[in-house]
Amino acid sequence: MAVEIGGIGHSVKRKEDARFIRGKGKYVDDVKLPGMLYLDIARSPLAHARIKNIDTSKALKIPGVVAVITGKDLVPLNLHWMPTLMSDKQMVLPTDTVLYQAQEVAAVVATERYIAADGVDAIEVDYEPLPVVVDPIKALQPGATLVREDREQKDNHIWHWEVGDKAGTDKAFKDAEVVVKQDLYIPRIHVSSIETCGIVASFDKVEGKLTVWMTTQAPHAIRTVIALVAGHLGLAEHKIRVISPDIGGGFGGKVPVYPGYVLAIGASVLTGAPVKWIEDRAENIQADSFARDYHISAELAAKKDGTMQALRVKTIADHGAFDAAANPSKYPAGLFHIITGSYPFEKSFVEVDGAYTNKPPGGIAYRCSFRVTEAAFTIERLVDVLALELKRDPAELRMQNFIPPTAFPYTSALGWEYDSGDYGRALRLAMDKIGYAELRKEQAAKRAKGELMGIGISSFTEIVGAGPSKNFDILGIKMFDSAEIRVHPTGKVMVRIGVKSQGQGHETTFGQIVAEELGIPVADIAVEEGDTDTAPYGLGTYASRSTPVAGGATAIAARKIREKAKLIAAHLLEANPDDVEWKDYKFQVKGVPAKSKTMQEVAFAAYTNHPQGMEAGLEAVDYYDPPNLTFPFGSYICVVDIDRGTGEVKIRRFVAVDDCGTIINPMIVEGQIHGGLTMGLAPALYEQITYDEQGNIQGGTFMDYLLPTAMETPNWETAKTTTPSPHHPIGAKGVGESATVGAPAAIANAVVDALAHLGVRHIDIPITPWKVQKILKEKGVAE
Amino acid sequence: MRFEGTLDIAAPRDRVWSFLTDPKQVTTCAPDVQSLEVTDPHRFKVVVRAGVGPIKGTFTMNVEFTELEEPGHATVVARGQAPGSAVEMRSTMDLAALDGTRTTMKWASDVTVSGMIQQVGARLMQGAADKITQQVFSCIKAKLEAPVTA
Repeated sequence: MAVEIGGIGHSVKRKEDARFIRGKGKYVDDVKLPGMLYLDIARSPLAHARIKNIDTSKALKIPGVVAVITGKDLVPLNLHWMPTLMSDKQMVLPTDTVLYQAQEVAAVVATERYIAADGVDAIEVDYEPLPVVVDPIKALQPGATLVREDREQKDNHIWHWEVGDKAGTDKAFKDAEVVVKQDLYIPRIHVSSIETCGIVASFDKVEGKLTVWMTTQAPHAIRTVIALVAGHLGLAEHKIRVISPDIGGGFGGKVPVYPGYVLAIGASVLTGAPVKWIEDRAENIQADSFARDYHISAELAAKKDGTMQALRVKTIADHGAFDAAANPSKYPAGLFHIITGSYPFEKSFVEVDGAYTNKPPGGIAYRCSFRVTEAAFTIERLVDVLALELKRDPAELRMQNFIPPTAFPYTSALGWEYDSGDYGRALRLAMDKIGYAELRKEQAAKRAKGELMGIGISSFTEIVGAGPSKNFDILGIKMFDSAEIRVHPTGKVMVRIGVKSQGQGHETTFGQIVAEELGIPVADIAVEEGDTDTAPYGLGTYASRSTPVAGGATAIAARKIREKAKLIAAHLLEANPDDVEWKDYKFQVKGVPAKSKTMQEVAFAAYTNHPQGMEAGLEAVDYYDPPNLTFPFGSYICVVDIDRGTGEVKIRRFVAVDDCGTIINPMIVEGQIHGGLTMGLAPALYEQITYDEQGNIQGGTFMDYLLPTAMETPNWETAKTTTPSPHHPIGAKGVGESATVGAPAAIANAVVDALAHLGVRHIDIPITPWKVQKILKEKGVAE
Repeated sequence: MRFEGTLDIAAPRDRVWSFLTDPKQVTTCAPDVQSLEVTDPHRFKVVVRAGVGPIKGTFTMNVEFTELEEPGHATVVARGQAPGSAVEMRSTMDLAALDGTRTTMKWASDVTVSGMIQQVGARLMQGAADKITQQVFSCIKAKLEAPVTA
């Protein structure tokens, strides 16, 4: 019975794959409307320059070019600037100065995509170069080139944010027996989704209604933003429909509003024709929001016996030219203060300063719940630095310090209330699975022979599921999420949710939650999302919030239906509702299993034979405000071998033990972990965007921006422990980002471990063969 | 990027000077010139087609002689743009007469390239620059060393 239902815990095949593997997915670029125009964007070749003149005359002469839009054209509409999600503002198109390379400068609207591109080539811009600052540390020094002349504050400092007990932490450091300190740089990287960003905007002049198909992870928030930003142009929220069709990967990169979206909407409103804008790959890497770019200085105070006592962290956050991060309003550095990780620090103090530079804007949460990757990497690297200092085994040192399972719910030194955890169990399982003790013996034998092998551990704790309305909002909108469930007379179900899958498999997993709660087979449940005209309001999918928040709403909405259904069942069974119980996916008269009604029978009755005095129908809505965040965790162990000739790091084995609480679909969870691990491998060994002194992007195409392929990706070995969240309706914690967050430290720790006997304590990621070979040469062990 | 070198030309210094400081003459040796517009004796605008490997662009270059110390020293600043790319060159030349018929030109050029060409073509830049330099100088030599026609 349970297998037929396909409820929680079953590896139900993904419903959405039927269309994806047949090439029948419908993405934004598949939207083709009659009379549709195409928009393309001219971008700045310079990282900082005054615009002396923009000559559009040649572009306008090209047959098929309908319009050319510059910043000056947007001024009368008050659309040349737009607000970011972080109380900053961002240029849609510049009127006089460009602030980073690849910034949008003008847009061409044409009857064909290629004509629009020709129009872009024909635009002549006269730039006067200005001095460039690309290093945030230099940007914060007195006399640095000013990036944002538009601000009243005439320096590059954006904000200062701090949390924790400064005096107490300083005292703990003063009194400490052992202090270790490590500077680390978490490099600027870029989401490289298979699908780039795009939009089709279609304004119906007669109805006054705007419909947009758009690659957005948060369609409802976008609808509200459009209404707020363009309300003065007559776009009211009931006349705006945002549709997120199938999305080929988001990872946080499809949360922000990019100028291209605004330009396409503006062009459609002005021309009355549908306008499509699809960015190309280079535009996607060069101009869309980046991730990470944190310069961190971290210190850990401990006793000689290894007991960790205090943590002190100072960070400079490079935000590029505009602070266009997508954090909850209250947290300019996201949830970075999860940095105490899996350890019970008594005292902790964290401060972060944001800086402007002549680089593209952003600071998005790339497959990580708002700066959690930066935090997890720092603490897990720092624990290994302490282990080296104390000459302790890093696994043993972690085991000694973990927050014990009996301490949950546990309030961290920086104020988070961890819901549940058993960190020792996860690490022990990972150690058993990989054969930790034997590996250490093998390593010692290899070292004696001069071979380089390393074992790295990462026992991370995440914080996801934003979030409780008392602390979490974006643009003032509280970060609840929603579900609406309708049970049709024949027992089939329509579920609509406020989040939006970009590949996570919501159509399957949310169906499974409802199947479990209502006893209706998952095959009979349709899940719809991403259309603001039909779905209930929600804040969208990012930060691993879908299952923790919308999953909670779905379970509770289903339970509301079950409450009503119980009354109908009692009516049908001619029993007192108190004598009816929900058992084996059916309503039964207590103690009389033969007297039972299925949900399908109840559903039919809800429309055909409902009790007098009761409303007909069987549907429910829930807006779920989570009481707390959820705290998934895991322990990863990585084994690497290093080639002494080339400096190449070979990952021999990687064991990932994850604990995401209750698992809805084990197959989907495993897929999420595989993808996440590969996205964690990428910044550890390959990915980084750098800039030269002139602000030229050095990794602006896939020729220079290195992503791991199947060739570089090792065989991931996964396992799980299950520690349900005590406050979540189904005990789920979310898993989408755990692996991305946990993997980089395990890999970096393994490489450092391989070289530790040579005196190496830290290597900044990405750990490229070039960096390793340089160390091998310095240490005189290169072959 | 900085480029520099010396070039021996079998022509008198005055002739080399007048050739290299005359926009109309010197641009005959620039690569693939599409148009030339001389604003005044010190300034001109030249449209050239140039690129690195397969990435080509039509560059509109505004060129200015910022120093002209006849007959030996000149500085020229050229700033230009192609769609998605920008280039800035600051070049100096010093001419020394070896004798009445031969001249040595010492030259140096600081080039900043930004945008598409820099991003995609950085690895090929040195080779492309060497090739263009060679073409330009062999053209200059050929023209200056040719017998004077009436």
